[in-house]
Amino acid sequence: MNRRTLLSLLGASPALLAGLPAETQPGQSNAKPAKASTPEPKVEGLNPRGTPPPIQLIPMAPRLDHLDGKTVWLVDTGFEGGGMLLEQIRLWFSHNMPTVTVVFRRKAGPYMEDDPALWKEIKEKGDAAIMAVGH
Amino acid sequence: MGIPTTPMVTQAFKELAVLNVAKRGMPHLRITFTPHPVASKTPEQLRAYVEGDDPVSAKPMMKEIVDALTQPLNQEEKKTGLVRVSVGPERYGPETPKKLQQFYHDNGMTDFLPLIIPTEESVEEMMAATSHRPDEEVGKMAAGAYPPWSYTVRQVAINAVMAGCKPEYFPVVLAIAASGTPSLFSSTNSFAYAAVINGPIRDRLNMNYGIGALGPFAQPNAAIGRAWTLLSKNLANGGIPGDTYMGSQGNNLNYNNLVIAENEAVSPWTPLHVQKGFRAEENVISLFRGLGIVPGQGARGTSTDTPKYEEQFSDLFSVFTGFFGGLVVADPLIAANLKGRGYDTKDMLIDWLYKNTTQTVKDYKSRDFAYGFDYPRALKGLEPYATWYKMPDDAVIPRWPHRDDINVVVAGGQTNAFFQGGSLSYTVSVSIDKWT
Repeated sequence: MNRRTLLSLLGASPALLAGLPAETQPGQSNAKPAKASTPEPKVEGLNPRGTPPPIQLIPMAPRLDHLDGKTVWLVDTGFEGGGMLLEQIRLWFSHNMPTVTVVFRRKAGPYMEDDPALWKEIKEKGDAAIMAVGH
Repeated sequence: MGIPTTPMVTQAFKELAVLNVAKRGMPHLRITFTPHPVASKTPEQLRAYVEGDDPVSAKPMMKEIVDALTQPLNQEEKKTGLVRVSVGPERYGPETPKKLQQFYHDNGMTDFLPLIIPTEESVEEMMAATSHRPDEEVGKMAAGAYPPWSYTVRQVAINAVMAGCKPEYFPVVLAIAASGTPSLFSSTNSFAYAAVINGPIRDRLNMNYGIGALGPFAQPNAAIGRAWTLLSKNLANGGIPGDTYMGSQGNNLNYNNLVIAENEAVSPWTPLHVQKGFRAEENVISLFRGLGIVPGQGARGTSTDTPKYEEQFSDLFSVFTGFFGGLVVADPLIAANLKGRGYDTKDMLIDWLYKNTTQTVKDYKSRDFAYGFDYPRALKGLEPYATWYKMPDDAVIPRWPHRDDINVVVAGGQTNAFFQGGSLSYTVSVSIDKWT
């Protein structure tokens, strides 16, 4: 599934966003005709969905030309195994891109808590960051 | 962050990750995926992950990471602006109730049980049970780590109708909605939720707090709890497996949650809402979140003439993770016994449980919840976690970090001296009267 499709799914099923498809649209003509002697009553049902917030698009930060001589921060978000995975990435850089300086740091607090002090430090001292792991 | 950054996510969370970054305004964020799971793997296995391919893109993982940080941005990745999200038309149909019902099911707006079609007339009737305006914003709710959705009195009423609520239940449902607490959450844990209702409204609504208090034996208990789940699905966009719901096994309690009307009339103790600072005559709903609840009958001592129920509670809680609180739901027979044995208040029982339900530091540290949540708090110096993590492995510590993590509620019909123990944390109490 591409990103456009996924973005279009935000907050609603595809049927809701696009208008109901013909095969499921209540009240459309492809429904079997009711028996003339016992017509079923038809009603309207209300939409029970809440109101999603608008999405403010955030441009990505400009990329680096290369990583040679740069400092890459590895951030452990706190999920089990994330630190060990990042250790293997640190080893990969040391073997394959030795000019890259790697800094490891575990984010403060449980995974769902923000750590603005760390983000500030990385922005001041680092050139790029890798965050792991989403479970 | 302001510098090139790439997240790594395990393959099992692909849709969640892609949708989440989109909801947060970076729909094209360059994500690298690893095989799942990462936990409990050896260094050799993880090295193979790193030296292998991203299982989603099939590209070498480290090349993908380096590219994510160094390949120039395209126009889509530079975009700014505001995107409004549609949730579809205001109403569906006209169509037969049967087809409309199937439509609600097919579009993820139900718990897949039969529902009441929310017509304009039935929703108007529901809204007549509150003095609040239909367009008044009730609150916001997020079913996980997502930006919260907002909702009005009218939107809550539509869900209350669908769940089978009578209009007189509506202030209770509004109070739940006002709490902003979803009963479906995106964690891989399959959380359960409970609501304790106190005050005279229990009798006005004919809630069941006697025989079978926790079972399907009264419409308000059933429908109010069911409404909570529909609110969570429809008002917070919760309960979409793979997107806003990741509970690995799911939880049957999520169908209508655990609604407990406290049996205040025969309880020898102060009702829960008064413990939380409300007046006895107020109507209040108190919410809990955790892993579930289990019956405790059959524990030692029940058949003796001096049953020590507090020890039975403690035994049961000893198998729970202490990450969530302990909720004792005691039949009035047990409450009366404990009162007769000197536990004059719930607080005295809670004190005993806090001091006598213990664990070793080694057992504590071995728990996943401790590693993921308490250890980071210990690193920040928060107590008691910081002290616990400095103690030797054989040191004995309380099962719960705080005494307030334990709550006691009395419910049941006195047909036997049984109880249930919940791995459930108290979260908030909300006035129902505010929503009449």
